[in-house]
Amino acid sequence: MKTYVKIALFVVSFIALSGILAALYMFNLKHTDMAKARPDFILSATVLQKEFEDNETTASAKYINKILEVSGTIASVKPADNNIISISLVTGSDISSIICTFPAITDPLKFKTGDEIKLRGECSGFLMDVLLNNCAVIVNKK
Amino acid sequence: MVLCINNLTLNRIIMKRLFLLLFFLNILIAVNAQKYMTKNGYIGFYSHTPMEDIKADNNQVAGVLDITTGDMVFQVLIKSFHFERALMEEHFNENYMESDKIPKSSFKGKITNLSSVNFAKEGTYDVTVEGDLTIHDVTNKISTKGTIEVVSGGINANSKFNIVPEDYKISIPGVVREKIDKNLAVTVTMKFTPVATK
Repeated sequence: MKTYVKIALFVVSFIALSGILAALYMFNLKHTDMAKARPDFILSATVLQKEFEDNETTASAKYINKILEVSGTIASVKPADNNIISISLVTGSDISSIICTFPAITDPLKFKTGDEIKLRGECSGFLMDVLLNNCAVIVNKK
Repeated sequence: MVLCINNLTLNRIIMKRLFLLLFFLNILIAVNAQKYMTKNGYIGFYSHTPMEDIKADNNQVAGVLDITTGDMVFQVLIKSFHFERALMEEHFNENYMESDKIPKSSFKGKITNLSSVNFAKEGTYDVTVEGDLTIHDVTNKISTKGTIEVVSGGINANSKFNIVPEDYKISIPGVVREKIDKNLAVTVTMKFTPVATK
């Protein structure tokens, strides 16, 4: 076999292999680890809720799909059947809060109503409350 | 003088009774709450094909149930659905549901056989729910079977039904269509608690 054919074969198989590897990597890509992710916004629960209540459209454009680092006081803790934990944070409103949902592995005992907490999560938007997903605790003060 | 004191104590007793009466009335009103709600309901869907199993969960469903009329309202954010693989979630949001343009889905319906549920007695009751399901800005009438479970401190509602993505103008390209079930199995699990009446 001629040398240039060998080189061509090598290049083609190299490209094909890296393509397959890249596809596999993309396919198996996990969600961003919030504990390590860089937050796009750092703010308090009260400010976040107020922005959505004042103008949902503007706040949605600003925060949805962004990583938010939110600090506040735990208003309630709700474990679901499938071990998913959701906590809500105290805001300036009685009926609307920030609901933060954690992945299934979280230890439910570490959250107590009244505790100060700082967490990171991905903003999904606003229903009655501002919803954060895929959350991770940054600081959990008693 | 004696009469005066008697009058005062009598007054005090009456006041106390009145207070107690009001107190119990308040409890009665709270117990007889007509509206139940949740902000942490669950809706998930599952697709099974020989090529791939796909599952998505949403634990941030907001729902309200009125037990006097049987009215039910659910609302979800599409972005709150979670898949195991990040890429699938991205495709779901960007290509199929277009969640930037259409962020919410909702259901507004009614329990049609409300009389067969005794909300005062704990137990599981079979119900039929009919209403409008809006996904991807397309509204279809649906009717499904489910259960209402009256438990201490709340009401659980469960249902399983199938939906066809094409009914909601969700177009899935041919290459991927094989990997996604024609009928998606939807599971709904809601744990309602009474709304505090003021």
